[in-house]
This record gives sequence, structure tokens and C-alpha cells, in this order.
Amino acid sequence: MTNLNAVDPAAVAQDAHLESADVVIAKSTIIFRRFMRNKTAVAGLVIFLALTVFSFVGGFLTTWDKETIDPFNIGMPPSAEHYLGTSQAGIDLYAMTVEGTRISILIGLIVGLVSVLIAAVYGCTMAYFGGKVDKVMLFVLEALIMMPALLVVAVATSGGGAGLKRDLPSWLLLIIVLLVFSWMGTARLIRSLSMSLMQRDFVKAAQYMGVPPRRIVWRHLVPNIGSLLVLDITRGVTGAILAEVAFSFIGIGIKVPDVSLGVLIGGATSQVQTFPWMFWVPLTVMFLLTGSLAMMNDGLRDAFDPSSSSTGKARKARKIRAEKSK
Amino acid sequence: MSSETTTGSGTTASVNSTADAVERLHIAGLHAPTGAVLSVRDLNVRFNSENGVVHAVRGVDFDLLPGKTLGIVGESGSGKSVTSLAIMGLLPETAEVTGSVRLKGRELLGLSDKAMCEYRGNELAMVFQDPLSSLTPVYTVGTQIIEALTIHNPTMSKQAKEARAVELLAMVGIPSPKDRLKAFPHEFSGGMRQRVMIAIAIANNPRVLIADEPTTALDVTIQAQVLEVLHTAQEETGAAVVMITHDLGVVAGMADDIMVMYAGKPVETGAVDDIYYNPRMPYTMGLLGAVPRVDISEKSSLVPIDGIPPNLLHTPTGCSFAPRCPLATDACLDGEPALAPVSGGALHHAACIKSAALGGDVDVHDIFAAPPVPESRFDAIPREDRATVLQLKDVRKHFPLTKGALMKRRIGTVKAVDGLSFDVREGECFSIVGESGSGKTTTLLEIMEFHKDQDGEVVIGGISNKQAADTKTKNAMRRELQMVFQDPTGALDPRFTVYEVLAEPLQNAGLDRQAIRKRIMELMRLVGLQPDHVNRFPNQFSGGQRQRIGIARALAVNPKLVVLDEPVSALDVSVQAGVINLLDKLRAELGLSYLLVAHDLSVVRHISNRVAVMYLGKIVEMGEVDRVFDNPRHPYTRALLSAIPVPDPHVERTRERIILKGDLPSPLDAPKGCNFATRCPVFAALPAAKQEKCLTLEPPLEAVAPSSAAQALEPAAPAPDQRFACFFPDGELDEDMLVTHDQAEHHAP
Repeated sequence: MTNLNAVDPAAVAQDAHLESADVVIAKSTIIFRRFMRNKTAVAGLVIFLALTVFSFVGGFLTTWDKETIDPFNIGMPPSAEHYLGTSQAGIDLYAMTVEGTRISILIGLIVGLVSVLIAAVYGCTMAYFGGKVDKVMLFVLEALIMMPALLVVAVATSGGGAGLKRDLPSWLLLIIVLLVFSWMGTARLIRSLSMSLMQRDFVKAAQYMGVPPRRIVWRHLVPNIGSLLVLDITRGVTGAILAEVAFSFIGIGIKVPDVSLGVLIGGATSQVQTFPWMFWVPLTVMFLLTGSLAMMNDGLRDAFDPSSSSTGKARKARKIRAEKSK
Repeated sequence: MSSETTTGSGTTASVNSTADAVERLHIAGLHAPTGAVLSVRDLNVRFNSENGVVHAVRGVDFDLLPGKTLGIVGESGSGKSVTSLAIMGLLPETAEVTGSVRLKGRELLGLSDKAMCEYRGNELAMVFQDPLSSLTPVYTVGTQIIEALTIHNPTMSKQAKEARAVELLAMVGIPSPKDRLKAFPHEFSGGMRQRVMIAIAIANNPRVLIADEPTTALDVTIQAQVLEVLHTAQEETGAAVVMITHDLGVVAGMADDIMVMYAGKPVETGAVDDIYYNPRMPYTMGLLGAVPRVDISEKSSLVPIDGIPPNLLHTPTGCSFAPRCPLATDACLDGEPALAPVSGGALHHAACIKSAALGGDVDVHDIFAAPPVPESRFDAIPREDRATVLQLKDVRKHFPLTKGALMKRRIGTVKAVDGLSFDVREGECFSIVGESGSGKTTTLLEIMEFHKDQDGEVVIGGISNKQAADTKTKNAMRRELQMVFQDPTGALDPRFTVYEVLAEPLQNAGLDRQAIRKRIMELMRLVGLQPDHVNRFPNQFSGGQRQRIGIARALAVNPKLVVLDEPVSALDVSVQAGVINLLDKLRAELGLSYLLVAHDLSVVRHISNRVAVMYLGKIVEMGEVDRVFDNPRHPYTRALLSAIPVPDPHVERTRERIILKGDLPSPLDAPKGCNFATRCPVFAALPAAKQEKCLTLEPPLEAVAPSSAAQALEPAAPAPDQRFACFFPDGELDEDMLVTHDQAEHHAP
């Protein structure tokens, strides 16, 4: 590269290399390939998507809804009219499950996404400014961790939050409460990760260029912890779904007339012997939901982890060739 | 060699037929293995990756005689380290290794991990590159040495093992070895840890010692010490050494034979003198021309080897070096040339179809079309008449050292930078050199931080840190001063395209979109990158190209002064030359000033006009680069210069070097007087009365008096541009610290 204006034959040759897309595979392609190679993860994704679709269009497949009482079929096992049977009060279980799945997924997705976003911004800000800002923000975070979330949920959704309850549906209230208590762990993790990123030269370079701190956090720090964020979102979704189920199960989460998987499971525990379908159906759906997310999480970790042992397809191809030649 | 012959001969070799071995040797074209301790034949290593099979090592052959040293030289990615790991059997299961590796006639390839353990650490030992991570932090050094002994000598008594460990530590030059046995790795410096690694490696008297870049992570003075220890270790054990390195200087004095590797294949092999004085392969010639020399002041451009090493996913159809070779013709693309004997050296082989024509007096600068030496418009103006772009006045950075959790007591001060004053003029390159821990980087950070509360004054382009308080003045300062980082990969945000990287400083300067676009295209051309590459991500570029992007970013806002923090130390030799040439050219064309921090004195000599040598936060010698390098006055400068290996075997074998004792002392233990007294070779030889002066008084930085001859000639001549801080620059050197290797008899043809 002596003459800067002349076209350099070596550079051109190298260019051809790069252009043929053989040398450089975009990172997203590698991640996608690795994810697709993990059969369990793909199965998980398919199940999750199927459940989501089911929760939105499933309601159109039946004429019943979650509020209408069928006085002729009270506590009936699954039949042609009521696909999954009816409850003690004569409400169609299928309609309730569809509704419950939707609420659960909604809670999971919103809480999972938003809490990770809060955690990312909070953690990065802490790490970037350090010093006093870090100390104060860390104190707030620790205080929230020590707050008994269970009690706050109980108070907010039952007696104490009467005013709130009037204005908001119970599932939205639960989302807010869950959000307040779900981001701290991730924020702490992100803080430590960002602190190590802060030591990286590109952040220093930006500082020395005089780029304002807000821009550095948003443009340099947040994107660079992206892979962790994706993992944390799936984890957060699972966590939120389970938390909702748990809270509703002990009766402090979603309140009737709203339905969720937790409410269904909680209501049916005493009747496992008499109305088994009332218990097993929502439980199975919950397992499918959290299980599919866990399966996906495993594949995502594999895909994002640079030290993953997931090797290329080349090896397999060669093995087959070797076998053929034998 | 095609894959068919590879597998075919690989299996027959393992049958161990002598006739076949002789014939294979003939093919391999290497010397006869009479009594070779390690002989490698047709070693091939393949890895699976997302993109396909990477053929990392393609047919390596060599024989290693007892007590001899083989240097394997090559760029990163040339397969040197993979070769060594394949010999040690340390490659992951997914790697596919074929060929034959024989240790004293016994085949090692194909042995199970358990069976290999018999050999590893016993007859076959290895020293790794990074001494900081190759010792387990939770065990004492003694435990780790004894562990190595226990595994291979289960019957040895505890006392015997301990005695042997002490003996080993003494052998590698660790002071008071008995007490140090109980020390943990973190209590040792990097150089000391590497010594411990060597002690562990030679614990069981190995027949073959593989050293994979053993000194790359260390300072030059420590490197000289460690190389010395390796030398002793080899003499004590009589082991054969495989020395893997990218630095042609390091092996010049040590190796008997050299193997130059490129793209996974040896491209030139031979005795050390043949390779250095009579290279026949353009790649070797380029490598030798790409290294700046610390002992030569002549200003000539370095030889850049354009392009990057080939992708090992595809089997090269022609010579693998042809795309980067200036001499390549169509014939070069027709089949990969095999190693063929070269006239002149008995054991000299080169894989080039033109090797016969390249002998003798071919000048490498002509072959590789090294650019002319650029001339700056400032060169004609005397230094005193140029404007000052950066001035430091008595800058200090002291870190308090505190103890205690609740009540912080101040137990001392670390004087990282202690009263630094210098100035950089327009169009000049000022370098700071010194070992790590000498305060070079802290100095840079002090300049970059630029705020009011600093101790001392920093003036950048006329703006002083004492006055500049508001953001506006600071931004004006930032436009005068930009920085290029050491690690080009770390300095570029991996999520940014090149366009975004270059746009950041421009957006910050408030340019509009159109102007930014135009400027980025200009910048890309300026640093020798293709303008249409702006949409790529940094990981799609090679290391040298990334550093060019880093330079382009620094130049974006048209600064006057560029701070370069080890700009080429992370790059391969061949790429480094291109970047150095670029920096030289930019300085001349744009009238830039550089403030360069580097540990590689050869690079410093090549690029700078003035140089300052730092030791423990203080400048011990400063002046015009040729004066300081040719006529060093301070004993530390002399030691530093003598520690640098020169890629010239004759010079390396015969020259006297000063091997400093010990490491850089902790700034806490620094003596009251001269900082350097604890390690000073002159101090050690001084009579006690004079030593007193060094220990109590701090030598000031004083100008060198013009020599008496010059004074006689022109009495009014100004003092030469060289200042140093030492009371006894002409004192005798301590005998113990002088080492000469006279190995000439080994190398007699």
C-alpha cells in the first residue's frame, strides 16, 4: 500500500475473497445457523410460536367464551361441545385456557422485555458514571432486592391498591408490580459486564473524542451486551410466567374475572380427584410454555457463546464422504 | 502434496519401514535423521469451522538433533503454534492430525491422551507464551514444580523433590529459591513466572523443549534475561529446543536451524546463516526487510508485504505466497512449489521456483518496491523555529497507597509520573520508551485527561489545562489532539461499521451529513483503504487494516498532534512495516506531530526524531534519536539498547550484552537518590564512596557536553540535543551483567 491512489492487486484479490462471502460470515448468520443446528431449541421455538398463535386465534374455534355459563353442562368432562370440558360453574375450559395462555404470554413477554430494557439502561448508566452515581444507584437497587416482593404484590393486588384496582385490570397491575421487582439481578450483571467494557479502548476512544456520555452508553455499551440481553429476555419471560402462576396460585395475582394459567391451576388444585381435566389441562399448557422457553434458551446460549463447541457442518459432510469411500 | 499421498505415506510411515523412511526423507528434502530426538514427517492438521475445513498445517517435516535449536518463524496464522500443539498432543479432539511425530523413534501421533501423559512434561516439555495465565494462581510455585516431579517420578522422596525444586529455581535464576518455593504466582513478576515455567518444563530433563513465543509478552530487558535462562536450561539438560516466534531477532542468536512457515507450510528451511544472509524465498526476504533495525541509523523505508495470508479453507492451486509476491508470474500460479534444495547451503531448501535467481545481491527494497522516504516540509526548518504543539511542565501523577479497611492509612506514594517536562514541536515525532511500569502510558493518560486539577501544566496547541475549564475549550483541544490505540481490535466498536466508526468524531464536531460522507471517503483513501469498504464491520478486516481505520479515525478532525500508544505492537511484522510507512508518510504530507509510546526500540528509532527514555516515572535520557541510540550515556539506555535482539546472527553471537539483574523495582522501594541504582551495572562496579552519591542524591537531567574535539573545532557551537541523568556515565560496567555468546564454533560450516 505504497501508492495510495493505485489499485492494489493484493487488496483486490483479498476483496474477491471477502466478496465471495466465503471468508466472512455475518455474525447473525452464524448465530442463526448454530441455533438451527440445535434441534431441541428449534422444537422449543416451534412450540412457543404454536402456543402464541393458539392463544390469539384459538378463541375463534369455539362458540363459548370465558364468561358464559352453560347451565346444562356443569363440571362435565371433555365432550364434542366443550372440547376440554367445563368447570364447576359451567364455564368452558377451552375458552378459559385460551384466555389464560394469552394473559400469561402477555405478562411474560412484557415483563421479560421491559425489565431487561430497564436493567440494561440502569446497569450501563451505573457502570459508565461510576463513583457517587454508582453508589447511589446501587443502594436503590440493593434496597429493592431486599424488599419482600411477595408482600408488595399481595398488598397491591388485594386490599391496599384499591384505587389502582379500580382503574387497571388486575393483569396490568401484576405486570407493573412484577416489573418493579424483576430487573435488579440483571441490572447488577449488566453493571459488571459494562464495567469491563468501559475498560475497552473503543469506549476510551469515544471519550477522548469528546462524545457525550449519554451517547456512549446508548451507542457503545448497550449494543455490546446484546447477546446477554437476548438470553436474559428469554429467561425473564420464563421467570415472569412462573411468577404469575405462583402468585395467582396462592391467590394474590390475577383476580377473577381475569383468567390466567395460574388462576386455573390454583382453582383446580382442590378438585384434582373430581375434575382432573380442570387441573391437568392448564398445567400441561404451562409446562409447554416454560419448557419451550427453556429449550430455546439452551440453543440461544449455544448460538451466542463464541466458545461454543458447535462445529461446522463441514465435519459431518466429510465423515459421510469418508464412509462412502470405504 | 496432495491429500492422497498424505494419507498413503502417513500409514506406511507408521508401519516403520526404514527404506520407506529414507525415501520419504528424500521427498521431504531434509537432512538425514541420524540420532534425531524428534522427527516430524508430513504433519497435517485440519480443523472444522463454520466455513468449512481449515487446513492449518500442511506437511511439516523436520528433524531435531539433540542439543540443537530449531527456530520456527512465521506470521500469526501460519501454523507455528498448531504445529507445536500437535506435537504435544494438546489439540482438541475436533482437530484432525495426520502424519508422523517420532520422539526417539517412538510414534506419538495416535496415542491416547493418557499415553501421551507419559511423554508430556517428561521427555517432551513446553513453555507457553503467556506466563501470567500458565501457572495456577491458587497453588504455590513449589507445589506446582513438585507436582511436575511427582507425576513422572512417583518413587521420589519428599525431601528429594523439594531439593530438586530448589535446584531448579536456582538454575533459572530466581534469588533465594528456598524461600520462594512457598510463594504464590501473583508474588512473581511476569519474567519471574516465565522462569518458573521454564523450571517446570526442565524439571524432568526433557529431551525436547518446545518454547512457543516464550518472550513475546515480556519487556526487552526481561526478554534478554529469559532468553539467557532458556540458554542455560538447554546447556544444563542438553535438550533440543523448538523455538517458535514471530520475531526474527529473537531466534537469530539462539537457533541453529530456521524453518520459515507460511500458510501452514514450511517455505524455507536451512541453517541460520543461510536464512539470514542468503534468503531465497521472497517471503523470507520480505520478512527480513520489514523489520526495522535498532543498530542502523540509515533512514530508508521498510519493506511492506501487501495483502494478508491466504485463507486456509481452500487448497492453494499455486504458490500460496503468489498473491502477495511482487515477483509472481503465471508460472507461480501453476501448482504449489515443493521445498527444493538451493545451491550454496547444504541444508538450505526453499519453496520457490525462482530461488535460483534470488541468490546473492538482490536488494529486497527493489523487489518489494519500498516507497521513497517521505520528506516533510518541516524538515528544512530548524527545530527551535517551529511552533510547539504540546508542552508538559513538571507533570506529576502520584497515587496514594493506603492500607486498612476502615481507617485508611497512607503508607506510601506510587510516583507513576514524577516531574515530567518536554515539548513536541510541529512536524516531529517524539517517542517515549521504557519498560512496562515505567510510566509511559500514565503520561499519555495524563495528557489525554486534560483537566484543571492535574499536578503540572499541559499545554496543547496553546491551550493550557490550567485555564481550560469549560466544555467548549476542551472540545477545541480535542480537535488538536487525537489518539491511536495499541490494540486495533479493541479500539473499534465491533458493532459499528467503518462508516459509523469514522463518522463519530465528525458528528461530534458538528459536521452535516454531506460533509461527513465526503470526509470519510477522503480518509479512506488517505490511509490506503478502499472507499467502498465503509459498510463493513471491523471484524471483516485484517489487523493492519483495522489499525489503518484507527488512524483514519484519529485523523478525521484534522488534529495537529496524534498520540500513538504502541501503534504497531499488536501487528505482524509484515503488516507492521506497512503501517509504519503510512505513519511516516502522513507525518510528512499532513505536517502532523506524533507522540509515540513504544517498547520496540527498533520501531522508535525508525520513526522518531526525538526520544525520551523513562525509568520509574522519570526521564533518564532524552534527545535526538540518533544521538541517543548511537551514543547512549545513561546506563539504563545502554542496557535497554543492548537487550534488543537484532535479526543478524553474526552480530547476535558476538556482541556483548548487558543483562540487567531483576525486574523493575516497585516504585515504593525506589531509592532516595537515583532510581536506577538497584539494577545499575555501573553502580554495581563503583567503589563504595561513589555509590553513596548515587544513593543519596538525585541526578539532574543535564545536557551532554560537546566532545572536546568538537569544542576545539567550533568553540561557540551549541550543546548537542541530548540530556541525561547520571553521575557516572563513563563508569565501568559490572562484569557479572555482561554476557557474550561466542557460539561461532557451533556454526562453522
